[in-house]
Order: sequence, then structure tokens, then C-alpha cells
Amino acid sequence: MSFKVIKPGFLSTIQDYGRMGYGEHGLSQSGVMDEHAYCWGNYLLANHFNDAVIEITFAGLVLEAKVDTFVALTGAEVDFKINNKAVQIWCSVKVHKGDILSMDNPKSGIRAYLAVKGGFNTTTLFGSKSVNLRENIGAKLVAGDVLPCENHTQANYRTMLKKYKPNYQQALVLRLIPTYQFNDFSTQQHDLFFKQKYTIDNASDRAGCRLNGTPIEYKQYMISEGMSYGSVEITSDGLPIVLLKDAPNIGGYPKIGTVFSLDLAKLAQRPPNTQVKFALININQAQQARQVFNAFFEINSN
Amino acid sequence: MHNIIAAGENAILIYFGREIDATLPKKIGQFAKQLKNALGDIIIDVIPAYTSLHVSYDLNKINHQALLDKVTVILNQQEDDTSILLPKTIQIPVYYDNEVGLDLERLLLEKNLSKQSFIELHTAQEYWVYAVGFSPAFAYLGEVDVCIQAPRLATPRVSIPAGSVGIAHNQTAVYPTDSSGGWNIIGRTPLDLSLKKPENIDKFHVGDIVKFTAIGRTEYLQSGGSL
Repeated sequence: MSFKVIKPGFLSTIQDYGRMGYGEHGLSQSGVMDEHAYCWGNYLLANHFNDAVIEITFAGLVLEAKVDTFVALTGAEVDFKINNKAVQIWCSVKVHKGDILSMDNPKSGIRAYLAVKGGFNTTTLFGSKSVNLRENIGAKLVAGDVLPCENHTQANYRTMLKKYKPNYQQALVLRLIPTYQFNDFSTQQHDLFFKQKYTIDNASDRAGCRLNGTPIEYKQYMISEGMSYGSVEITSDGLPIVLLKDAPNIGGYPKIGTVFSLDLAKLAQRPPNTQVKFALININQAQQARQVFNAFFEINSN
Repeated sequence: MHNIIAAGENAILIYFGREIDATLPKKIGQFAKQLKNALGDIIIDVIPAYTSLHVSYDLNKINHQALLDKVTVILNQQEDDTSILLPKTIQIPVYYDNEVGLDLERLLLEKNLSKQSFIELHTAQEYWVYAVGFSPAFAYLGEVDVCIQAPRLATPRVSIPAGSVGIAHNQTAVYPTDSSGGWNIIGRTPLDLSLKKPENIDKFHVGDIVKFTAIGRTEYLQSGGSL
């Protein structure tokens, strides 16, 4: 019982909620880039919040079902077809043995998530199924790969209200918690940072989102220290890098703050050249908003 | 005494000092362990490094302020408790030679040292694990004797073989896997420190001690070293 990869697309990898508890051994958190779309996929199938899915970057994935089960595609708006017939995304869909599933032509957003009932049962390494190419943990999907999963003929359907469907074309403001060296930056530097529109650089990847804009002059010797998901480094060229799921655990650039996690989910769907801005949020507001999200998706460890 | 700052919606950073100091790795390593024991599954992850400890926590179970209060209490209890963690000593055999030490010949010239004296200086020291990171199981070790310190290469090498032992400023390290890097390579260990052996994930902890021992070519090859 499995899915077989016919075409892997540009970059498709197995991801789950993340590899927790290995930061002290030098491992990245890893896991899905868009937690919002990922959580909806597992929710629609009544899965566990940590079940493994396929993260499909820039579409192009084609699979053959070797199993009867249910799937849900969320995230980037792509042409999702089963046996060449268009199928809805953001809802659970029945698939039969022999079906060909294809995901093409992303119109909005850049990462789609294919969840399957019970999750993909690939190898667990260091407590997680998440693939991390930078660390050589697992590999990206290639044609011929077999992705084990469970057989299911009945599902407890869940649906999503239309109003929850995100609009990835919307202007994005990244809410920033003042953390790390925030107070070491001057008022002028804060003004420059918060007033300008940055543009997402082409070299962005799962480790970090690089932003182009007017540089902030900031030179300070820093001792390397632990880095949080979403922390914003100001590198020696004065430009920000928002650290994402595959970022190294430690680093030595000053950090002006940490982006609220649910805004990082939105950032994960913005292609290069998209404009983004920063605005402040306090830590209590961020925690409360995240608690609401966790309660809804039954995430009991975060 | 300890400065604690926010590091994210579910993370804090505790500073134990302002400058790198040989007394800190043990203290920070101990505290990381003590914190995990005291707070159990509230703690998701800890990242000790040089002067600080990064702590991420489950925000479903505790909020920022309540966590700060708990951490402060535990920090105050910690001061004299050295019984919790005895530093482990890790021995690493190294074949020091031009054959595998890509920068050894140049360093000997620059430092005006014989190979023998260079090896003695590198093996005499007990190194503290200051941090583990950047890539899996990569341990930053300090401090290197001032006579053999050397800055990073201006242009990092594209490929350094796994097991290579390098020096950068006052630190030394072993590359667990083939990788790019700018450290001065002085030798190679036959030990496989990569995650191909999953137990290597637990090899180095901040606060452990590392000692290098010199081995000859024959022993290097017999222990599985490659050229």
C-alpha cells in the first residue's frame, strides 16, 4: 500500500511538523515551510497534527496510487487532477488503486501539500520524517520512489469554510517580535527597517528568505548563539535574512527580531520578487494567536 | 548576573557571560541538563553555544513571563551544583601529515615550527566543546594554543574530506562529513563522526572535553582512514 512517484517535479520532499529536540546536536528544526496549509491538510483527513505529507515546491509532481485511500491537497493553487479530471483542493478526496494524481501549473503560492489519510509512513530519522537536504537527512523524491501509507475505505470527512482559504496574492506584512539584539539597533535603523518595502531574493530557500532593500549600516562583533525559527539576521551587507526551517542552529550575525510563526507560513507561499514589510507585534499577542491556532489543530506540543 | 532575553514567540536566550571563557561551556552544559530535568516536556529544545543557552518551549503549557520566572528560580539554585554532570572526555586519533593536512606545511613555515612541535601543541591541550552546530555533530573546540592559531582561509575550499581536523583562530574542529569550509586543515581522523552512524548524534555535548592523540600512517590506515 503506497504511492509511486512517476514525476517528482521541481522539488518535492517528505515533511512533518519538524525535528524537535536535536538543536543541541547541531540539527535544524526542519519540517513544513507553511504550517497553516500543512495543518489544514491533516485536519481535513482527521490525521494527527504531526503526520508526514509531501511538500511540493513549484508543482510538477505526478503519483500513481497503489492503494485505496483519501488525500487532501492544500497550499499553492495548482491544477490538481486525478486521471486527468480536475479535482478540488482544500478538501478530502477519495483515490483508488491505479489512479494517477497530477499537480501542475501553480497560479498562486509556491508550495502545495499533499496529505494522505494516516500520513506517509517513510523512514523516521532523529524523531522526524522531515527531509533536510542541507544535512543529508533523507533525499528529495525521484521517479520510482515508493511512499508507504495505510489503506482506508472510509473517512471521517471534515471540511474547511471558504473564509479560511488564504489569499497568497495579498500584500504581506510580517509581524516581528522584538527579540535578540532589537534594542541594540538605533531609532534610525529601526525606521529604515520598518518603513521600507523589501523584495524577496531569488536565492531564498528552505534555510532562509533573503530580502533585498536599502542596507542597514550595522557592524558589531557577535559571539555565535542559538537561533530561533523566524529570527531576522542583518548580515554584513546590511540586508535581512529571515531564518526558516532548515537554518543552522547557531549563527553569529546580529538579529533585529523574530517573525511571528503564522506570518512565516504566509511568507513560505510568496515567490521571489514579492514585496514584504515588517511591523511590530508584542510577544503576548503572538503567543495568544499561536495558542488559538494550536488549539484548533490539536497541536499539543509546540 | 544572567541576562535573559526573548528569542521568539516560544524561545528565550540566557546569557552566562559577555565574553568567551573556558569556564562557561561546563556551566552552560550543566544548566541545560538541569533545566530539562526540572521542566520536563515544557522544554522542546536547548542550544548551548559559547556564552549562551537558547531554550525553546511549549507555549501551550506556559507563557513567556511564567517561563522567565521558572528559569530564574532554577538559575539561582544552580550556582554551586556541580554534581549533575561530569564532563566526558572524548579521544580523537589524528594522522598529522601533509598527505592529509592540506595546510600543515604552510602553517609550519608561517609559525616556524617543526612538525613534532606543532603536533605536541595541538595534542597537549584539553579542549572544551564550546558549541555543536552549523552542521550536525560539528563541535567547536577551544582554545587552541596561541602559537598555532591561524585565521580562516580567505577563500573557503569547495570540498574538504570527512574526518579533516582544522584550525580557525583560537578554535579547532573535525569535519564530520565531506563539506566546504575555510578552516586550516592539519590532519585527519580515521573515526567516522558522520550521521551514517546515527549514534554519532550524541557524540559531543557542550561542556565535554576533547583530546587529540597523534597516530602514524599505518595505524591511520588500519583504523579505516582513507587517503
